[in-house]
Amino acid sequence: MLTATRGGRVELIISLGVLALGIAASVLAFRLPEAGGYARIGPNFTPKVVSGGLVLLGVWLLAEVFTGGWRERVPDDAVERGEHDFHLGAFAWVSGGLLAQMALIHSAGFVLAAMVLYGCVARGFGSARLARDLGIGLLLGLAVFLFFVKFLNVNLPAGWLKPILGTAGL
Amino acid sequence: MSETLSALLAGFGVALAPINLLWGFVGVTLGTAIGVLPGVGPALTVAMLLPLTTKIEPTGALIMFAGIYYGAMYGGSTTTILLNTPGESASIATALEGNRMAKCGRAGPALATAAIGSFVAGTIATVLLTLLAPIVVEFALKFGPTEYFALMVFAFVTVAAVLGASMVRGLTMLFLGLLFGLVGIDDQTGQMRFAFGVPELMDGVDVVVLAVGLFAVGEALYVAAYQSRQREEVEKMSGSLMMSREDWRRSWPAWLRATAIGFPFGTIPAGGAEIPTFLSYALEKKLSRKPEEFGHGAIEGVAGPEAANNASSTGVLVPLLTLGIPTSATAAILLAAFQNYGLQPGPLLFQTQTTLVWGLIASMYIGNILLLILNLPLIGLWVKVLKIPRPLLYGGILVFATLGAYSLHQSAVDLVTLYVFGLLGFMMRRWGFPVAPAVIGLILGPLAESQFRKALAISQGDPSVFLTHPISATLLALTAALVLVPWIYRVARERRARSAA
Repeated sequence: MLTATRGGRVELIISLGVLALGIAASVLAFRLPEAGGYARIGPNFTPKVVSGGLVLLGVWLLAEVFTGGWRERVPDDAVERGEHDFHLGAFAWVSGGLLAQMALIHSAGFVLAAMVLYGCVARGFGSARLARDLGIGLLLGLAVFLFFVKFLNVNLPAGWLKPILGTAGL
Repeated sequence: MSETLSALLAGFGVALAPINLLWGFVGVTLGTAIGVLPGVGPALTVAMLLPLTTKIEPTGALIMFAGIYYGAMYGGSTTTILLNTPGESASIATALEGNRMAKCGRAGPALATAAIGSFVAGTIATVLLTLLAPIVVEFALKFGPTEYFALMVFAFVTVAAVLGASMVRGLTMLFLGLLFGLVGIDDQTGQMRFAFGVPELMDGVDVVVLAVGLFAVGEALYVAAYQSRQREEVEKMSGSLMMSREDWRRSWPAWLRATAIGFPFGTIPAGGAEIPTFLSYALEKKLSRKPEEFGHGAIEGVAGPEAANNASSTGVLVPLLTLGIPTSATAAILLAAFQNYGLQPGPLLFQTQTTLVWGLIASMYIGNILLLILNLPLIGLWVKVLKIPRPLLYGGILVFATLGAYSLHQSAVDLVTLYVFGLLGFMMRRWGFPVAPAVIGLILGPLAESQFRKALAISQGDPSVFLTHPISATLLALTAALVLVPWIYRVARERRARSAA
């Protein structure tokens, strides 16, 4: 029984998650209409098989947790994996950049959102030169914007830069 | 035979048209670049570019995507030799010897044998593809829905259960992919499934969002969290690119043997290049007249595996083009590219889209020549690409990743989904769940369901057809054996170990 260790607890949670997903999907699948037509295979058949499969796999994962832990597991010790310990700051900066981009893309526009994303990600990967990173992000965003909008006719929001970028884009 | 030749010649006419030549060049250049860059693979790149399919005509786009696919195999070896962090698992074998050679000041010959070996293997494999495809097509024309369904089940199980570290985790990812594939409107009855009335879910889970989320966002989160504070050393590009007479003598038999191993492995659903590269490495070690050099920079140990992974990546195109069965994540995304144009790879494609298919195959002969030029005389350029600092590289990857997802529907909802898949990808990487089965499940799942229903409609609901048709029965029996034999073996071994203890 490995559930006393931290890795074991995560394995237990993921296994239960797979099982719960399988059960939830099964409930939905069994509520789908039959409507099989003459092959008797309706739109509910494959969902039942797939969600049933997930239930079985959840049980299988759980069984492994309770019989000595997952087989062929990834080592919990970062050094053993040739990596360093979880770096929360790095994870948070990359996540923050992505969330900021979601929030900004419609108001500030693609170019500025890309600049912020680029700056945050570079910061997350340990860069200490924020001004340089934002500058590169701005240039990259501009280049991509112009290529997509002018050359490929893909619409991207111009946002706050609309006075400069002109009528291109949304 | 002569039919094949004339089809291929017509294909060269297509592939040599200036615009297609340009797309091919863009593809192989991009492919080499992303092969060189750690953290970016061909599956991700093609997925990010999928939204462009609405803007480019199919032949050009598919020539470009194929170029990215096999070009990445060339670029990958540069990174492996100079950086010792294999860009992809298929390069691990090369890393063993190639990086040693670079450390001893023999980076030049290592890069040369990898590039020339890739060219030799890629070209021979393309010849084999040319010869084999019409034969498989002839055979596959006799397949009905029953056979296709059995074939897809076989592909699912080999990719998910047989490859990778853990059968149960591979299958879990396959079923998750299959579940994602079910989301949206059922095309046969119009029934809404797993969409919760959300308009964005009605069209189903988009392969671009899933693949880019898992590969780009998940990978970036993972590398940031666990690897971004490590130092990396790029070996100097040292030594002339010229291979000595002895280097040649030791390399060419390795290239040929590796091609013979790699190509067949590519054509069966054995999940890409990992197994053949290791087989080739082991074989070269065994046959070498200087086995003591292995582990210290033996040139055969670079020549063999690099040729093997190129041959097998071309081999993967045999089942993809002739049967519509993808056996790797990248192949699944290439299949999605075909589907974006309303094309379904398979034997009928060879009849209805002759010029497209043969244009694509012909473009691979040209692409391999371009790649040899890109990767030998221009190697210095790629060494510079390799030196792009990680913070700047990953910033760029995420700008392009979010661009790919956003440009699908100009919707920020896709960016939210992208991040959710990114978190999923992070967890999968950390806890050892493979990505490829999820992508293959998403793309191949709906096709398998449709074949299954067609088969049962033809048999008027009698499920025994899958066991009475000989080809289908054989494939399903083989599938069952692949799952059960290792499992029985393991249970027996554990039981023996327990009773011994």
